[in-house]
Amino acid sequence: MNLRLLASLFTFVLPAGASTPAQFYAAVAMTKAQKNSSTPTDSGLYRREADGTWVHFGPRILGIGSLAAHPADSAVLLIPSADGVVRSADGGHTWRKTTGWNVLDVRSIAFDPLNPTQVYAATQWGPIRSADAGATWQPAQSGLAQLYTQTIVADRTQSGRALLGTEDGIYVTTDAARSWTRVASSPPTTVLRLAQSAVDPRLWLAGTQHRGAWLSHDGGRSWTPTDLGSAAANLYAASLNPHDANQLAVGGWGAGVRVSTDRGATWQDRSAGLPVKHVFVLAFDPDTQGRLWASTFEEGTFYSDDLGRTWRDGGLYGAYGSDFIFVPTVLR
Amino acid sequence: MKTFRLVFSRIRSSTLFIVSAVALAGQPSPATPSLCDADITRRYLERRETIITSAIATLDAADTAKGSYLDVAAALQRGDRRAAALARLALLNAPTPNGNMFWMYPMAAVVTAGREGLDAASWARIQELWKTYWPSRGDTENHWAIYYASLYVVAQAFAGAGPEQWFNGQSSTENMAESRAYLEHWMRVTTTVGQGEYDSPGYIGEYVVPLSLLAGWAEDAAFRQKACMMLDYIFYDYAIEQLNGQYAGAHSRVYPRQVLQPAQVAASSFGWLLFGLGERQPRGQALLLTLSGYTPPPILERIARAAARPYVNRELKRTRWRMRHAGPDAITVGDRRTVPVYKYSYVDRDFVLGSSQGGLLQPIQQQTWNLRWHVDQPLDASNTFFAVQPYSSPYEGTMFFGADWDTVTELIARSKADYDSPDKLASGSPHEQVFQHGPALIGLYDLPPDTRFPHIITLFSRDLRQVTEDASGWIFAQGGPVYIAYRPLAAGTWKPNDWTGHLAGGAGGFISAGFKEWGVGHRCYVSGAQHNGYVVQVAPVRDFTSYAKFQDAVRALPLQFSTSPMAAVTFTALDGSVLHARYGATPTVNTKPVDYAAWPLFASPSGWAERGSQQLELRHGAERYRLDFEHNVITHAIAQP
Repeated sequence: MNLRLLASLFTFVLPAGASTPAQFYAAVAMTKAQKNSSTPTDSGLYRREADGTWVHFGPRILGIGSLAAHPADSAVLLIPSADGVVRSADGGHTWRKTTGWNVLDVRSIAFDPLNPTQVYAATQWGPIRSADAGATWQPAQSGLAQLYTQTIVADRTQSGRALLGTEDGIYVTTDAARSWTRVASSPPTTVLRLAQSAVDPRLWLAGTQHRGAWLSHDGGRSWTPTDLGSAAANLYAASLNPHDANQLAVGGWGAGVRVSTDRGATWQDRSAGLPVKHVFVLAFDPDTQGRLWASTFEEGTFYSDDLGRTWRDGGLYGAYGSDFIFVPTVLR
Repeated sequence: MKTFRLVFSRIRSSTLFIVSAVALAGQPSPATPSLCDADITRRYLERRETIITSAIATLDAADTAKGSYLDVAAALQRGDRRAAALARLALLNAPTPNGNMFWMYPMAAVVTAGREGLDAASWARIQELWKTYWPSRGDTENHWAIYYASLYVVAQAFAGAGPEQWFNGQSSTENMAESRAYLEHWMRVTTTVGQGEYDSPGYIGEYVVPLSLLAGWAEDAAFRQKACMMLDYIFYDYAIEQLNGQYAGAHSRVYPRQVLQPAQVAASSFGWLLFGLGERQPRGQALLLTLSGYTPPPILERIARAAARPYVNRELKRTRWRMRHAGPDAITVGDRRTVPVYKYSYVDRDFVLGSSQGGLLQPIQQQTWNLRWHVDQPLDASNTFFAVQPYSSPYEGTMFFGADWDTVTELIARSKADYDSPDKLASGSPHEQVFQHGPALIGLYDLPPDTRFPHIITLFSRDLRQVTEDASGWIFAQGGPVYIAYRPLAAGTWKPNDWTGHLAGGAGGFISAGFKEWGVGHRCYVSGAQHNGYVVQVAPVRDFTSYAKFQDAVRALPLQFSTSPMAAVTFTALDGSVLHARYGATPTVNTKPVDYAAWPLFASPSGWAERGSQQLELRHGAERYRLDFEHNVITHAIAQP
């Protein structure tokens, strides 16, 4: 298996011998100062510099949901946005929109780690797929009962397999998004965030609307609710520690940050110290073991080095976050 | 019958047919100006000239702070005050742009209308801005139309420009192809299923803008022709429901100020420009239309001024695309889901009563029904009467917007502050059902206890006279030349328009500034019953010898209603029709259910369009003017006596 592929974006796994830290990006909209306007005062991707400052990166487009980098060539970048998918082949120096007029509101995007010419994206009007690393796109709606989707994760253990969060629960493809099948035990609601463990790829975590957190221990084939303490919450954030399969975190509206250290058997509220209990993004830092990042609704980004017992200011005050992305530097 | 076919003619200002309107439609009234082709066109060109001249006059070389992009475009097109225009343009183009598509279209106007007058420095700066500033496409139907029409004509002007010369990394050829594909799609959907952002008195301007760009400057003759036809289509849609230039009937979107002063909208500026109706208002959208060279077909003014009234006008529209919670009534167009909107208007020479069926038809700013009466000087008039169930919820927000459940309401309210207000005056409601037949209307409500604002509001504007609460339960009023009878099913209380103070505080954002001037003196009848409703019967003053006679006539009308377990009404209207409505059921007229399935795209004595047809036939007397979007052909025919 290609170790570089294992170092793909979203895996948070550093290949053996890798020495370059991942670039850390936040996809946000600056909504705090938005008055008498339907558009944020700024939006897009911000990259965290070594000194802790955030620098805007890439085009300023509304509705940027995330960022994906080609697992074997991190100069190839894809941005899902309200205007469609925007692609760079030169590390972000130039950008090109690669979708037509009928693709919009793209929220999540994923290269297939084992075959990165295949790319999948969740849009709020139905998923799309690319067979040429994001240069061109086709609809990928076959088998879906509802088209609304906002989270998609490519399974790192099986090429062509991906899980999709929809208005109708979780769907799975095993043929590179040519068709979808509903997972029978899927949460019966809109799935807001999906995540796969980098350490134990059989372990998947889902945040849902009104139904809290759900867990799968068999590669997303069966799901059960977890964390009774947030069972009715809207959970927008879900993350698994890439260094320790026991450590999971979910976050949501009113739910703050909740952490498990026993693979989801028990959960603790770790919101104390945050200015607000409205959390939209969580991510364990792949470069700093044990560090957990949290993006609150407009009150800033915070990080914790003790699993949420204490929090430190991470900047981006006023931001409404969509995703945290760690991009390892991998050159073809 | 004489028939003319117009294929790919740029603008129909040529004199292919000189029509005597008298021969077509009888003698116009003394107050109606001549409606023959030549006189209609002459008057239009005079008004057009007035708008262009006044726009250019705003530019002053000694004061470059004055003037808009569109004023600059006008000056450059005419070669008048060129130095002032270029100086102003340099100032406008100095900062980093903002505004997305609302930056694009004025710039596109400069690039197209003003192209011959631009100097090298201006042209270079313009090209630089289209390379470096990434305007977003937005999320509403008008945003997309503006975005793609602007992109199309600018890409056309930047012929041969490669991907490196564009903000989005696509070449001019690619941008034109994508733009045209969307715009053709939008035209096809509009002429088959109906417009989504339908009949908005403000946002009509946001459709005139892109169509003007294409009608004026698309180099492809077929595309230019289709844009001209869409302008005809949009303007017919307006003309058939207007009252002295005011856009009447149910609206997809209205802002708080426009609700109370209905003439202060873009539509009124088109009423004056196109037909000489109402009062002139300076609006950029109308200026762009004049610069495009578009000339309306004279039949439009004949319909606007001389269609025999009263008549019933029915239209089929659609909701904004629903991304979630589409509901059982949803239909699919391609892979998008929507719900049909059934519009019905009773158009009298003195008033228009118009409605849609109720429900969540548009987010934020829906006006489900209203009554508008004639006033000679409408600009500051509050000649309106309507009811609303103020509703807001993340359910509605996430139905139409890609935002999150917990933030969508707050984010909407940051630009439309009245959205989450109990005293707002424009709203769709899933708990509302409206039914109209002629000048009678029934509104029914089933309000769940946990709905955010469990009440309905009926606005009695300050322009109403003789508001009388009758012992019979009817509330009578007079609005100019129309009598109004309103029968609430459950009692309410009277409150001032700003009864919570929210609207008075500036709700609605920038477009609602100046509440004291436009919002004071109105009254709201607020009723909080869970099962509720009302009956409205209106009639022209001319039909009765006195106000008392009207009241007597209404009191004598058979009316039965209940509010348990659901609101239900059986009412015999002034014309003798027996109307029955029960919440949740299909209403009936004389026991016959209303046939929504057979609702055409347009149906009135002045126009007809079948659902799915891509055609619209305008009619006036013996004159027929057919827009065929499928074949991109206009056919004009006049029956011989």
